Amino acid sequence: MIHLAKRVIRQTLNDKRSIMMILVAPLLILTLVYFLLGDSNYVPTVGVNKDTVPDSLVTALEEQDLTIKDLTAKEVQDAKGYLNDHQEFDAILNLSQDSGTTIILYEPSTKGTKAANEIQTAMASLNPAAKVNMNFVHGSQDQSTFDSLGYVFLALFSFFLVFIISGMALVRERSGGTLERLLMTPIKRGEVILGYTAGYSVFAVVQAIFIVLYSVFVLQLSSAGNIGWVLLTMVLLAVTAVSFGAAISIFASSELQVVQMIPFTIIPQVFFSGLIPLDLIPYHLGNLSYIMPIYYGAEAIKGIMVYGDGFFDIWGYLLGLAAYAFLLYMINTQALKKFRQI
Amino acid sequence: MDIRVLNVSKSFDQKQVIRDITFTIPNGEICCLLGPSGSGKTTLIRLMIGAIAADQGTVHFDEIKIPDISMLKKIGFMPQNDALYEDLSAEGNLKFFGGLYHINKQKLEKRMEEVLAIVELTEHRKKLVKNFSGGMKKRLSLAAAILHSPEILFLDEPTVGIDPLLRRKIWDQFHEFKHSGTTIIVSTHVMDEVTECDKAALIYNGSLIEYGTVPNLLNKTQNGRVEELFLNASRESKGGAVQ
Repeated sequence: MIHLAKRVIRQTLNDKRSIMMILVAPLLILTLVYFLLGDSNYVPTVGVNKDTVPDSLVTALEEQDLTIKDLTAKEVQDAKGYLNDHQEFDAILNLSQDSGTTIILYEPSTKGTKAANEIQTAMASLNPAAKVNMNFVHGSQDQSTFDSLGYVFLALFSFFLVFIISGMALVRERSGGTLERLLMTPIKRGEVILGYTAGYSVFAVVQAIFIVLYSVFVLQLSSAGNIGWVLLTMVLLAVTAVSFGAAISIFASSELQVVQMIPFTIIPQVFFSGLIPLDLIPYHLGNLSYIMPIYYGAEAIKGIMVYGDGFFDIWGYLLGLAAYAFLLYMINTQALKKFRQI
Repeated sequence: MDIRVLNVSKSFDQKQVIRDITFTIPNGEICCLLGPSGSGKTTLIRLMIGAIAADQGTVHFDEIKIPDISMLKKIGFMPQNDALYEDLSAEGNLKFFGGLYHINKQKLEKRMEEVLAIVELTEHRKKLVKNFSGGMKKRLSLAAAILHSPEILFLDEPTVGIDPLLRRKIWDQFHEFKHSGTTIIVSTHVMDEVTECDKAALIYNGSLIEYGTVPNLLNKTQNGRVEELFLNASRESKGGAVQ
């Protein structure tokens, strides 16, 4: 077993692309995600007809993160047409005696939502009784999307990249005939899978350390709990990913087929990893998450980073992962029977 | 060890690949499995080493029924494709396979020197296999198969893509293995190589059409060339189809 693990390590070290994929790719993608989901400081542009709007409201609007532009009464009347022709405007605010306050937005986008939010804040500031204060048990209102969803990506990367690399390596071993040769030595079937898992776990540990340190110290992803538990979860998740990759490689006869199976293996897991709140998924489809290994990892990491959970709060998820890995180990060992009965 | 193959048959997807083959290879002989490509030589080898299970029939090494895990360290297997790790050096590959046989470090080091010298790869030992030529890979694959000094050596087309000079050397090496008591089963579609062997099993369409010592087989032909036996077999099978 130890020879196999050593070989996997040596082999991966000699393959520069795999090393890049394990160590550099996740940092690159995380950085990208950081900028995509981070605070944009975007200032929406809102058009108003200052003649119809009380001065106090104009002042309140100008105090918000908004660019206020004066429009004529006619332009405000034909707000939809005006927004269509002037894409630099995100919203038009129309106050009238008979129809009350109307906000016309170009499209239901994040930009529009931000404009609407700022307008509502401005209006609330004029009427303190209508002001709603929001407090959170975990996190705060001015958290960026990256802060609140960043943990999902930690789980995704440690799973996906290790899955791809180990799955491909095992398929190559099958198609190249080395697996048959390997099984014609006195190695036990279980040792083959364990050796593989051990070899890739070394990279998984290094990868987890890289990702966690980078996201916490460079990207300032906040963690309420101890990042040591995040590391543990990520390593466990990566070990499961190796077994998962090995199991998928049973059904694939070439590397291309591993890629072809990604829509069935990885993409559903992305949706159930916590990017979409599971309670919002209709027809109890959210329960599907229980059969997805990434769910256990993502939930545990969420527990630690968002709720500040310790080991005794997340051990259930870790147990889930371990059970998954063990189950896959049994399946893989059985699957090797195809190549040698004993 | 004698190798006894008894009434072995094997089908893949309804297509029968090996048809009721029975023969015995005595200890310490070189036996070649001769046949055109697609005749079932590789499948027969895989059945003999226990890589796949026979639908019917049995394979025994002396009294031990295959597959058997304790037998695995006594056999060496060189597959038809190279089956090497491209991202490892020649040395890395041998170290790995040696490790699987639990050969201790000093002994393995010494043995690696020996086998690399046999296949003339000593100067390339640090090179990654992906930079090897086809012939070099073939030789390294052979080196990996003989690393643990097996008692029985299964070689699937070992001399394909190897130049005549080295082919000669490799065959001399096989004879040396034989003298030290190794049983060698070698498959080939090169009819000339039959003269290197003690016995030959002629396989055609998954059936064993002839088996015997090489001089006996050659005596059955008119021109002393073993092709004749295959031509006869193909004529007979065509005749059978007409009936």
